[in-house]
Amino acid sequence: MDLYGYPRPENGRLEQILNQFFLKSLHMILDSRVPAIRLSSHYGEVKRSDKWFNLVLGDRPSAMDNLSFWNRSFMPPMVIDIILVQELPTSSSEHNSSIALGSEMVKETAIERWIVQHEHQKAVAHPISEASYKKTYKKSILLLRSVFSMLRLLPAYKAFRKRFSSQNCDFDISYKVCTYAVPFPGEEDKLMKRHNFVPIDTQQGPLSISLMYRKNLSDFNLDAFLSFPSEIITDYVGSPLTEPIRPFPATLSEKDFCATSFPVKGSQPTSSSAFQRRHSWTNGIHGDVSSQKNSHLYQSPYEFSSSPTPTDLYSHRIQNQRLSAYQKAELDDLLSPPFSPSPSPSPPTYLSSGNPVHSRMRSETSPMSIPYPMMGRSPRHLSPNKSDPNRHSLPPPSPRSIKNDPSSQESSSGIRSMRKSDSLRVGEPSPGLRNFGPRVSRDSKEDSGRFSGPSSSSSPRVGFSRSSSRLSFQDEFGDGDFTYPFIVDDIDPPDFQASQNLDGKNKSEDSSQASFTAKRSQDAAVGVLVHMLRAAPPLCSNSSCYISQSSKPEVVREVGVASEFFKPRNTTDALEELKAYKEMKDLILSKSTEKY
Amino acid sequence: MNCEVCQLKELEVEHFEIREVLRCILHTILFHRALGLVRPKDVDLELFEITYVQCGDMELERKIDEKIDQFIDRVEKHPNKKNQICLSFYEVKNKHATWFTNKVERLFWEHWYINLNVMQHPKTPSGKSHHSKLVVDPGVEARGARRAALEASLRDVLFQIIKFVNEKKDHVPSIPNVEGIPFPYEITISSSSDSAFGMDMFKRMLQTGHPTMLS
Repeated sequence: MDLYGYPRPENGRLEQILNQFFLKSLHMILDSRVPAIRLSSHYGEVKRSDKWFNLVLGDRPSAMDNLSFWNRSFMPPMVIDIILVQELPTSSSEHNSSIALGSEMVKETAIERWIVQHEHQKAVAHPISEASYKKTYKKSILLLRSVFSMLRLLPAYKAFRKRFSSQNCDFDISYKVCTYAVPFPGEEDKLMKRHNFVPIDTQQGPLSISLMYRKNLSDFNLDAFLSFPSEIITDYVGSPLTEPIRPFPATLSEKDFCATSFPVKGSQPTSSSAFQRRHSWTNGIHGDVSSQKNSHLYQSPYEFSSSPTPTDLYSHRIQNQRLSAYQKAELDDLLSPPFSPSPSPSPPTYLSSGNPVHSRMRSETSPMSIPYPMMGRSPRHLSPNKSDPNRHSLPPPSPRSIKNDPSSQESSSGIRSMRKSDSLRVGEPSPGLRNFGPRVSRDSKEDSGRFSGPSSSSSPRVGFSRSSSRLSFQDEFGDGDFTYPFIVDDIDPPDFQASQNLDGKNKSEDSSQASFTAKRSQDAAVGVLVHMLRAAPPLCSNSSCYISQSSKPEVVREVGVASEFFKPRNTTDALEELKAYKEMKDLILSKSTEKY
Repeated sequence: MNCEVCQLKELEVEHFEIREVLRCILHTILFHRALGLVRPKDVDLELFEITYVQCGDMELERKIDEKIDQFIDRVEKHPNKKNQICLSFYEVKNKHATWFTNKVERLFWEHWYINLNVMQHPKTPSGKSHHSKLVVDPGVEARGARRAALEASLRDVLFQIIKFVNEKKDHVPSIPNVEGIPFPYEITISSSSDSAFGMDMFKRMLQTGHPTMLS
């Protein structure tokens, strides 16, 4: 009997362990090699399925939802290739592994290959004892810990971190999962180093993980791909170049002018197809599995056609039919980790300095902090003592961009979700990004559709990460333009920020603010509004802390009105301005309340 | 049950590198022995391009930092000596309780020896001894080379840990259903000047009651 009282065959528990071992291995490898997978991971409450092998990795990526090959009694080997995708100049010589997509040449090179396999042997005559399960499970835990550590010591991890943390890379990392290992070309094979983890002997055959990896990635010049140094954008809205009246403040440092460089490349999905690669679950998965018992089939060397072919596509539709609701429930709930009758653990605590990414995973609501969107910047690269130089580097957007931006709706939803996380940066997984979940998963499903079956999209994509990380966020924010209307104006002096008081208790402070605000530009008014709103009483939980779309035109109007305020004024004018802001605030609050 | 011993490769470190190196090694070992439910946490070293894994247990982190502080104090008090940290895992067995004592016996099943050779900078130009390992400012290039060598050595140590954990699994006791580290452990510090430096190891060997297998 299992934990739920269902009668299970004696071999069922071992199969359960083996199944979950395959899935856990895959999750672990993809999570530390493919940026898109890491982006889509969620770290909420620990699910039962995540407790397997006592290693919590977060939600499984959606790409794994359709895996059923390794959820049966006979499991073929799982071959996971980690592929480096590079863009080549069109004039460069063609390689076997190069393909042409549009006007760009793309080179794909496997830099790692993980093979997880269980060599199934004839079942033994005597039943498998519980002690045997426990031993197998214990050794599986130890093996997976080794793999987890090893993943961070291999050269490909550096490439992953570079790609994950920077949007300005000319390379991408993708993956391919097969049931057979395509031999590497002779030259590549010589460059691969092999490592075999000690297999686990089970009563139905050994369970093993082996690895081939490129010891040296210097050939790929990955460091050179961190090009596009930060641009100093001097013609941002509000700068003296756009507003001659306003001089350059003498006290500003260059850091304040530095803006996060937006991706130079066109961010439309169709134009950036060079880095979009479908996940290639091979045809070997849903082909005749029984004939592939020995797993190795020779195929031609690496060739990736520009359009998805049925031979290396995995049918999304078929998997949906196979994976019935019962099986899904079985995967998540019924297949619970064995030998763990203890109650669910309390949420783990982390040192935020050690891993701020994880600390931001919790589903907490931050008190009205508006984070700066930073595409793909990983805080794990930063020392806890170092401040993020890009933290306050975004210029305030033009009000025109707020009005005309077609994705303003997405940006408002983005603001809502972003504000749910404490100082969240775009490109990092968090519970707040769950609001992007449907969008991301749509993208991922589109991708899976493209690589898993006859695709509805005509343009082939090379990298899943492209669509789910860069593109999805760019779709949200409109081709790299950040349309947050309430990004804090970072050139506000601290005392101005601190002295905002909506209640108007301190009129002398208001007069000082008024004299100060007389000198500010239109954008500073927006910043003032932001500060006022932040100081406002928190909204109700339903309305959250975001500005509804309907109120945006009014905000723009109000900002336009505010610009008229910037004439030589006295205290009275300041008081009137304060009243106007209060009215604005009330209006926005009422509209938010009405909406919910 | 066998007691396995792992002597890690000796590392030559400078004073300011001790904390990072020890954190990396100790947490890596403990991650492989924290076989209860953990949510792993990646930590990047500041001085080296290495990422190691922690269990995500703040209490454990605090204990390790305390031990590292003790080690650093010891190094400062006893310079010019080779220093060693021993991380040991044991099982607790209650011996027959007498009227006056309730003796508890520790059955060690694994010892990890982390050997650090802390290089000392000369305080005075004349402060030289053939016993000490003095560091004269070698220049930027040499310093960089030394740092790179240390990074490579540290990486080797981490691979050594993974290899050991992977090869020897049978001696690990069954895992109780707890979070974090299910096995009791202790961290002891010793240095070459101690008369018990070697005796300590010998005592542990005797306690296990089995011949040790030095790796």
